[in-house]
Amino acid sequence: MGEKADVQMAQNPFEPYVESLRQQLEEQDPVFLIGVVVALAVVIITFVFLKYFLTSKTVRSAVLLVGLCDSGKTLLFSRLLSGKFKRTQTSITDSSAPYKAKNDRGSTWTLIDLPGHDSLRPQYLEKFKSAARAIVFVVDSAIFQKEVRDVAEFLYNLLTDPVISRNTPAVLVACNKQDVTMAKSAKLIQQQLEKELNTLRVTRSAALSSQDGSVGRSLYLGRKGKDFEFSQLPLKVEFLECSARGSKGEEGDADVEKLERSLAKL
Amino acid sequence: MLDFFTIFSKGGIVLWCFQGAGVTESFTGPVNALIRSVILQERSGNNSFTHESLSLKYKLDNEFELIFVVGFQKILTLTYVDKFIDDVQLHFRDRYKNELDKKGALKLLNNNFEFEDDFKILLREAEESGKARSPVTMRSFKESEKSQKTVKSMIETKGGDKGKEQGGKKTKNTKKDAEPVKGDQGRTSSSGQKMVENGNQGLTPEEAMQKKREEFFRRRVGPTEKNSKSPKPSQKPRGKQMRVWDMGGSSTKDLDYSERNGDGSTNGGEQNQEAQTEGIQLRSMEGDLLPVDYDSSEEEDMEEEEEKVVAGEIPKPGSKKGSSFGGMFGMLKGLVGSKSLTRDDMESALDKMRDHLIAKNVAADIASQLCDSVAKKLEGKVMGTFTTVTSTVKQALQDSLVQILQPKRRVDILRDVMEAQSQRRPFVITFCGVNGVGKSTNLAKISFWLIENGFTVLIAACDTFRAGAVEQLRTHQRRLNSLHPPEQHRGRPVVQLYEKGYGKDAAGIAMEAIAYARNQGFDVVLVDTAGRMQDNAPLMTALAKLIAVNMPDLVLFVGEALVGNEAVDQLVKFNQALADHSMSDKPRLIDGIVLTKFDTIDDKVGAAISMTYITGQPIVFVGTGQTYNDLRSLNARAVVSALMKA
Repeated sequence: MGEKADVQMAQNPFEPYVESLRQQLEEQDPVFLIGVVVALAVVIITFVFLKYFLTSKTVRSAVLLVGLCDSGKTLLFSRLLSGKFKRTQTSITDSSAPYKAKNDRGSTWTLIDLPGHDSLRPQYLEKFKSAARAIVFVVDSAIFQKEVRDVAEFLYNLLTDPVISRNTPAVLVACNKQDVTMAKSAKLIQQQLEKELNTLRVTRSAALSSQDGSVGRSLYLGRKGKDFEFSQLPLKVEFLECSARGSKGEEGDADVEKLERSLAKL
Repeated sequence: MLDFFTIFSKGGIVLWCFQGAGVTESFTGPVNALIRSVILQERSGNNSFTHESLSLKYKLDNEFELIFVVGFQKILTLTYVDKFIDDVQLHFRDRYKNELDKKGALKLLNNNFEFEDDFKILLREAEESGKARSPVTMRSFKESEKSQKTVKSMIETKGGDKGKEQGGKKTKNTKKDAEPVKGDQGRTSSSGQKMVENGNQGLTPEEAMQKKREEFFRRRVGPTEKNSKSPKPSQKPRGKQMRVWDMGGSSTKDLDYSERNGDGSTNGGEQNQEAQTEGIQLRSMEGDLLPVDYDSSEEEDMEEEEEKVVAGEIPKPGSKKGSSFGGMFGMLKGLVGSKSLTRDDMESALDKMRDHLIAKNVAADIASQLCDSVAKKLEGKVMGTFTTVTSTVKQALQDSLVQILQPKRRVDILRDVMEAQSQRRPFVITFCGVNGVGKSTNLAKISFWLIENGFTVLIAACDTFRAGAVEQLRTHQRRLNSLHPPEQHRGRPVVQLYEKGYGKDAAGIAMEAIAYARNQGFDVVLVDTAGRMQDNAPLMTALAKLIAVNMPDLVLFVGEALVGNEAVDQLVKFNQALADHSMSDKPRLIDGIVLTKFDTIDDKVGAAISMTYITGQPIVFVGTGQTYNDLRSLNARAVVSALMKA
């Protein structure tokens, strides 16, 4: 009985308020009430809308084609989209187009071809990296030996970028120009890059800070003490071979099946 | 005549190309070289470029993001090329406007641009217009004006004739006229009889001769004759008179002004004259002193420009404020909607930007070249909604500045030193620059940084001229060794100085130092050279010899951030000297820049832009003080934002 009285006592403090509220509401004009309800509904709907839009923006739907100058990105772009061979020159802006993946879901992404020239690379990467779902890193397998340090530096910058390491897009290293006889295989390129990145992560963390005091990336790739391997990274890095020109020259098809398969798996 | 013609998009896909008859080489190489050296380095002010034996001309279409390039042999001078490119561009745009309008790159890939026939027609037209015009046939007598005139009107009176002839003789300015006159006279006397069929039927041959002669003089002497005709010709024949100077009297008594100072009457005229001549000078010194080398004409020009600018701006707000309703809509229409930019629209914005850059210590002609290049990039571009011309220009300029400051090759000294280490040879860095920029100080800072990263350094004292240079380096060496004692670094001193005193040949010392480093296993050799002015030819030759003989891995030019327009001159002359005096066909030029005294400038960071623009080489180090820790790397974005700040 005492408990019932307690519960009733607990309910009682609210009772008068609820009563007064109900009385006030009944006193008000019903039109006014409807107006208030509608306004509240609009506010709630707007919130839901905004949330929906914001989350849909963060749905990354771009596949970036990056790489050094002359590695064959623009030709690869053309082959993936239309299958045709087109002569290309050094790109100075980005090109983008919707790409239909060859899988059952039929998902479409935006394929974006970024210029590879050193002076343009950083600003275009800056622009598109937050929207990247996958990054196709194109490597010229024929002259890889000469360029290994440049390739490694670019890859290092890519992997230690804070936005990219946060979003963890899939990284596909496409070893292009396999039609050339002296082209290195994907496995060899992977080993060379691992060795190079091993040294780079030491030198780059010792690099000078910028003149305004901002220190460079402090992200350390892989695990300290052990030799660097791509499997140590939180990102998924996959190596594959392709040839944008194709073995039959300009008329034939390109050998990009492996790339298409990997893109379909995304 | 043309070797090739290409049309490609800015994204790199070639839309259409034409290769001239008999040309086997691919044009991809030269066009790529054009893109990399001109467009990407913001030198698109002048639109022609030479690559080996080819001369390339190009045109940017910013509305559809296309580039038109034509290439022909350098030795040919084709006059029709500029107009031809313009014609082709207009034709191509008109024909493929629909396809090019769509967004996205698919349109470029899927369409086949069949431009062959149009191109051939245009080329034929251009070639025909360029051909030299056939020589103009002489008019027959019937067509000339003379046949229409009556004979009487052509006869001149005897008196006037004689006067003109004498006037012609007397106003001979050059002695050359004397000879043709004699020659004429000689000729006319001998062939006087032949001159019958002159068309001057009314005149005797002599008079015809005279008339022809003074016509000839009139044409030879030209406008001066016209002036001399005005004084009466009767005044001319007079003996040579002794010249009388106004102020010079015949006796010195006239020059004695001591009594006359009080008088006013006799010398009133003269004093007034004096007062007048001095009066001009009197009022010019009123007010503050003028600064050195101040040109009053410059100020007038600036005032006129300001007036023009103000006058130009006043009508615009006036038009906005005046007709309120229509004006408002007009302004809004200017903001919204697709409007393509023209040169005139951008002119005022570009001028403002140019002045802003110059105020931030960018060299003057580099600022104007940059603004020209930005104008070329934006011409014809369609502005998006709600963007003003100023903001578009500002954004484009910012992008180009960042692009210039981005290094065009990998800059990682530590990695390269490691590479040299694995090849068992020392990595040689040479520092050059004018006097007093901070070579020795920054050399010490860089060696400190290298030591901290575990390398051993040999400093070669190749400054054998300046008093105290070797001692300065020895002090640095001692200090560095005390900071990093040998016990911590495998028992050998981390820094050693290689010096041979003063007065010796710098190139020889450098060569010996490098050999010593190789023997002793040093990782890096830092070569310090004497400061020298870029105009000093023997010293520049000596520097070029040092670099050509020793082939260092890195040639760093040390420049201070305080320098203004001088930077352009210094770098150009240094590069020129290095190129001229090297024996090989691939001379070693400046590979990188060290920008020193960066802490002394707040945001007037324009020197960085000038130096990178001129050489195309990256800024490797930035010196921000005098202690060992004051060494930084360049952050392009921070520098550009400091530059663009108002």
